[in-house]
Amino acid sequence: MTVNHFEIFGLTPSVDVDVPALEAKYRELSLEHHPDRVGADQRLEAVQKTTSLNEAVKVLRDPARRAFYLLQLEGIDLEKQQMPMEFLESILEQREQLEIAKRQKNLPKVRALGAEVGHTSDQALAEGLKALRAGEVPAATSALARVRYYTRFLDEVEAIEESAA
Amino acid sequence: MAYSDKVIEHYENPKNVGTLDKEDPNVGTGLVGAPACGDVMRLQLKISDEGVIQDAKFKTFGCGSAIASSSLVTEWVKGKTVDEAATITNKEIAKELSLPPVKIHCSVLAEDAIKAAIEDFKKKKAARGK
Repeated sequence: MTVNHFEIFGLTPSVDVDVPALEAKYRELSLEHHPDRVGADQRLEAVQKTTSLNEAVKVLRDPARRAFYLLQLEGIDLEKQQMPMEFLESILEQREQLEIAKRQKNLPKVRALGAEVGHTSDQALAEGLKALRAGEVPAATSALARVRYYTRFLDEVEAIEESAA
Repeated sequence: MAYSDKVIEHYENPKNVGTLDKEDPNVGTGLVGAPACGDVMRLQLKISDEGVIQDAKFKTFGCGSAIASSSLVTEWVKGKTVDEAATITNKEIAKELSLPPVKIHCSVLAEDAIKAAIEDFKKKKAARGK
């Protein structure tokens, strides 16, 4: 399958997507290709098409996932991105603080750390999107790689909050 | 996805979790991260002037496989020379822990951490002019 997530909706790859229009198009195409509406001989194809549509809309409706996907289309492998030592040190330190707060069952502290990192993450994402719009792929890659670490941190915050609830 | 018994063993009872004094001239610190999943791993080696690894500690924030990989290598490197430790490959780690293909990057992280710690030690040693 060679069509990318944008092409499946007739779009060209772009940082900014009209999400309500995307979702309308998604509903239209999902109905059109619904496996129940085709003959048995076309069912497999319809199932595959539906799966592709579901995956594509999931990626494109979310600005962060869309940005990561654009990097992927640029041939960027985030796994190979070398992070500055100071950044890794600050992440490790924040993770240690979170671990202590978790152990002490200090939920307000957990939330405060989450809010702080959430804010930094939003800034890094905005920076990444701006760089992508300007076609500055290396800058976008560096900012979005940071977002990955923040996202992982925020997942952990969420997990702690859930287990405390 | 099911973890192998060895991964679970290291995950539930990790060996050598902790910190060594990174200002100690005989301590090499390796700090590495995996952007794809946001994991971060710190591996520290205490190395004698003769180049033998006397102690190893790690701190890893990541999945079970990442924790198991770092726990395993701290066990492996103790008593080895720096040169021997540098030859440990991610393949050996992955094989020992029976890591599935999607978790291979965790073993790569552990291999990178050893190399980074050794490099840090060598840099310190060179700076001391020894």
